[in-house]
Amino acid sequence: MPLPSSAQSSIATANSSDINVTIEHFIARLKRRQIDGPYAMALETLQLLKRFISQARWSHVSELIEQIRQLANRLEKAQPTAFACGNVIRRILAVVREEEEEELRSNSPQATSSSVAEPMISSMFNLLQKPEDKQQKQQQQKQQKQRSTKNRTDFRQVAIQGIKDLIDEITNIDDGIQQIAIDLIHDHEILLTPTPESKTVLKFLLKTRERSNRRFTVLVTEGFPNNTAKAHEFAKKLAQHNIETIVIPDSAVFALMSRVGKVIIGTKAVFINGGSISSTSGVSAVCECAHEFKTPVFAVAGLYKFSPLYPFDVEKFVEFGGSQKVLPQMDPEHRLDTINSITDYVPPENIDIYITNVGGFAPSFIYRIAWDNYKQIDVQLEM
Amino acid sequence: MAGKKIKAHPKEEMVQDDRLQAIVLTDSFETRFMPLSNDKPRCLLPLANVPLLEYTLEFLAKAPVKEVYLVCSAHATLISDYIEASKWSFPWSPFKVFTIMSPEARSVGDAMRDLDNKGVIAGDFVLMSGDAVTNLDFDKFWDFHKRMHAKDKDHIVTTCLSKATQFHRTRAFEPASFILDKSDNRCLYYQEIPLPSSRVKTSVEIDPDLLEGVDEFVLRNDLIDCRIDICSPLVPAIFQENFDYQMLRSDFIKGVLSSDLLRKHVYAYITEEYAARVESWQSYDSISQDFIGRWCYPLVLDSNLMPDQTYSYESNHIYKEQGVVLAQSCKIGKCTAIGSRTKIGESALVENCVIGRNCYIGSGAVIRDSHIWDNTVIGNNSVINHSIVASGTKLGTNVVLNDGCIIGFNVVIEDGKELPRGVRVNGTPVKDSEDNAFGLSDEEDEEETPEKDNPEIAFELCGTKGRGYIYEDPLSEDEHDLPIGEEMVSGLSHRLDEVYLSDSSISSVTKSKKKRTMSTNSAYTDREEDPTEFEDEEDFGVEGVATVKRAIENNHDLDTALLELNTLRMSLNVSYHEVRTVTVVALLDRVYHFIATQTLGPKDAANKVFTRWGPMFRREAFDPDEYVDLMNIVMEQVVEQELEKGDLILFSAFNALYDSDILEEEIIYDWWSHVSKDPKFDDIKKLVAKWIEWLKEADEESSGEEEEEEESEEEEEN
Repeated sequence: MPLPSSAQSSIATANSSDINVTIEHFIARLKRRQIDGPYAMALETLQLLKRFISQARWSHVSELIEQIRQLANRLEKAQPTAFACGNVIRRILAVVREEEEEELRSNSPQATSSSVAEPMISSMFNLLQKPEDKQQKQQQQKQQKQRSTKNRTDFRQVAIQGIKDLIDEITNIDDGIQQIAIDLIHDHEILLTPTPESKTVLKFLLKTRERSNRRFTVLVTEGFPNNTAKAHEFAKKLAQHNIETIVIPDSAVFALMSRVGKVIIGTKAVFINGGSISSTSGVSAVCECAHEFKTPVFAVAGLYKFSPLYPFDVEKFVEFGGSQKVLPQMDPEHRLDTINSITDYVPPENIDIYITNVGGFAPSFIYRIAWDNYKQIDVQLEM
Repeated sequence: MAGKKIKAHPKEEMVQDDRLQAIVLTDSFETRFMPLSNDKPRCLLPLANVPLLEYTLEFLAKAPVKEVYLVCSAHATLISDYIEASKWSFPWSPFKVFTIMSPEARSVGDAMRDLDNKGVIAGDFVLMSGDAVTNLDFDKFWDFHKRMHAKDKDHIVTTCLSKATQFHRTRAFEPASFILDKSDNRCLYYQEIPLPSSRVKTSVEIDPDLLEGVDEFVLRNDLIDCRIDICSPLVPAIFQENFDYQMLRSDFIKGVLSSDLLRKHVYAYITEEYAARVESWQSYDSISQDFIGRWCYPLVLDSNLMPDQTYSYESNHIYKEQGVVLAQSCKIGKCTAIGSRTKIGESALVENCVIGRNCYIGSGAVIRDSHIWDNTVIGNNSVINHSIVASGTKLGTNVVLNDGCIIGFNVVIEDGKELPRGVRVNGTPVKDSEDNAFGLSDEEDEEETPEKDNPEIAFELCGTKGRGYIYEDPLSEDEHDLPIGEEMVSGLSHRLDEVYLSDSSISSVTKSKKKRTMSTNSAYTDREEDPTEFEDEEDFGVEGVATVKRAIENNHDLDTALLELNTLRMSLNVSYHEVRTVTVVALLDRVYHFIATQTLGPKDAANKVFTRWGPMFRREAFDPDEYVDLMNIVMEQVVEQELEKGDLILFSAFNALYDSDILEEEIIYDWWSHVSKDPKFDDIKKLVAKWIEWLKEADEESSGEEEEEEESEEEEEN
């Protein structure tokens, strides 16, 4: 896979020993928008995190968590409209926290029963009693600590294992989605996809064609102005695999929607309310239209795209791109201001089902999946 | 794992790639940004709250550049200090930044020759100016360069041109037409064309020989030349060989293309991406608006490229940093950026503006299409229209700035003042308005002198408690006396264009001279090194004197003489001090010749020679110190040559130089107060002492009495 030369410099510093240099360099690349797509971003973030954790020093696991949170906060700030970085780090944080709770639970069953639970319940009755001996309490705590240090779990190991698992999961995400999705497409169906840049959608369509040998037609919207070239490329690839493909202008969606069987969209991020960000502008309009025609909308998303954030202010999550794609360069005297959003927010009511590598879910159920993988405490990374 | 796979590939590529170097010319060798560029180098002036230089470095950061050389001449220390403190000197910077002090450089050509002498260039390199704002995809540009290089071994420069619409304004700053081979974009011919506003009709003349072997060619003038070139290492050498090349485009490109001997080729890479240079206030304004309007995405303000920035984007192109305090009733219009800790008062209106940090905008103020830099205070109910207000400025209440004002650093303007259109005010008197005078023609001297003599605060503009000095661009008056009047009427931008774009048509030599004045100190350090190069000096002494003598004998014009002398200076690498010395020696020799052949008396001879050839010193000395040095040289040489009537010759020489406005009174006084007390000069100093006394008196007395004085002075001599 040929890479742009910008990636070379990342390698140069990746070899250097200082972790801070690597982090700063990664942040700089995020700021310059040099990392393309959530997939690459998630994987690079995980590699970085692996190095970070393997070099981190801490005396208690809470310090490690704090350090990871700080890193996540910085990465998220670097490119606020890219969610992959924050998502994967939050996943790892959840793994570490889970392990920490596990350890607490296993180490202190007696402690909780004797010193915490008992006085809590009996406190009303013991109001006038002599308070518990402080020294005794301290001793107990000391013992607890000693115990915890004795069979302390190796959090480094846990975190790194978590990262490895997550990397495996992300790299194999398309397989999981395909298995579920294949059965959803019928013979001689007309599909419409407004997100031609999504590799997941592409692979999914190709697999369906290969495995089940079903004949179906795909309509691809052009995605003017940002994605036109990608749409053409996408259509070409589908056509090469013997899928009947038609590129349609964005404006023709409403006219054609009555004939469309399903709308398939790729996503860039999925929020806990079930709404999603997709990386082509115009997707929202297409989904609105599908909603009007009662055409089912399928969104495909890997689990790593689920974000525990809630889209209170949609504008903050949508990225606005360059104006030169819309208009030729203007004379400043007679300037037109253009606003070119390159991503688009699709509200949950316009999506019928999310197909993920762990199964298909209704948008209203997304919050459950998110809380299975994230901890609420890590949603806000800012101190 | 995929992550590792991705990383495995580029390593091999890296081995093939040599380290790519970039040369950034931070100095434009122009004065369009006066008076603000007087206090700060122009590449550090903020555009949309980010120093200009950052845009260039960001562009290079996306390219596989490993080493960046900043060539600094004016304000060189400020630039290197800035770089040292910036993120580019941290270990995670994608490249190493070196600053090269090149104080002697006064044009692009000088800078290139200097680079070649220092031998920093190893392979192909990127040459660009430090004021480009672009989102050009460097990889494609680089690929194009490599492809052409493989195809054509005579290929030396690939230049990047950005396509513009027919009416785009940035195209109009330095308009030029390119003639390209249609098949492979080889540049066949380059010609500058006059500004559309000058209304001069022009034609492009093409030598038929150039078109030999070309099937089809296109002639284009719709291209914005953003001065980003990839050059082969041969380029500095060509500059070295052609020492008279000053400008990159009008001299170098044109020279290479039309030269029969070189047979080198220049290719043009034409892109539709955003690329522009901040070369005047006009383009500053339009590029700033473009940047805020996200024309150069992904280079946008809210990617917070400066480490301490915290901009976030809101719809309608509004950017706000953290900690902005907005009153409830204030209105923020479209395309606005506001820096942190800025306060905007009740019912203020801000639209199409860039506002820096720590600003205070009073209630009821109306600010449109303007650039407000950090730490400014704008009083209640002030109105600012399409102006630039630099850092540290205080505007009182009810101040009105009309279209096109430029308010420099630390200006104070009192309540209720109204500034007319296009006024430029600076907080400190612009130092080189004095210095400029030496390099420029006579009329300007007269204009500048009163300003210099009484650098008074412009009370009528800033008020009695105000602080600010009017900056008059001496060139604008000369160059555009009529057009301005015409254009004034014809709308906002046009007018700005005319006022701002004052010196585009002035020859490169004049431009460079003005910049030169800022690099006094460094020029001196050079001189201290000279003793080590004693041999060179000796050679230069003999050769130089011979050159000037030859020029005098054959009565060459000044330019020719200077060109020859310059050639000699560069080939032997001597300082201007030596150049001045040889000129003085040669001139005195000539004077002696006249006296010896009894053609003229000593006074007339000196007067004649120094009036005729004195103007040479204008291009050999550039600041007061150097002129003082010149006077010392004259005095020493008069003694050394043991001329008869040395005192008279010295006096006449000085007087001639004074009359032709080469020596300023200030300098003469300065020289006199520091003059050597060596007894060997005592004899010849006598007459000069009187002359200086007279000067001082004449200064005080009214000009009407001058003639009388002169007569009496002459009587004394006789």
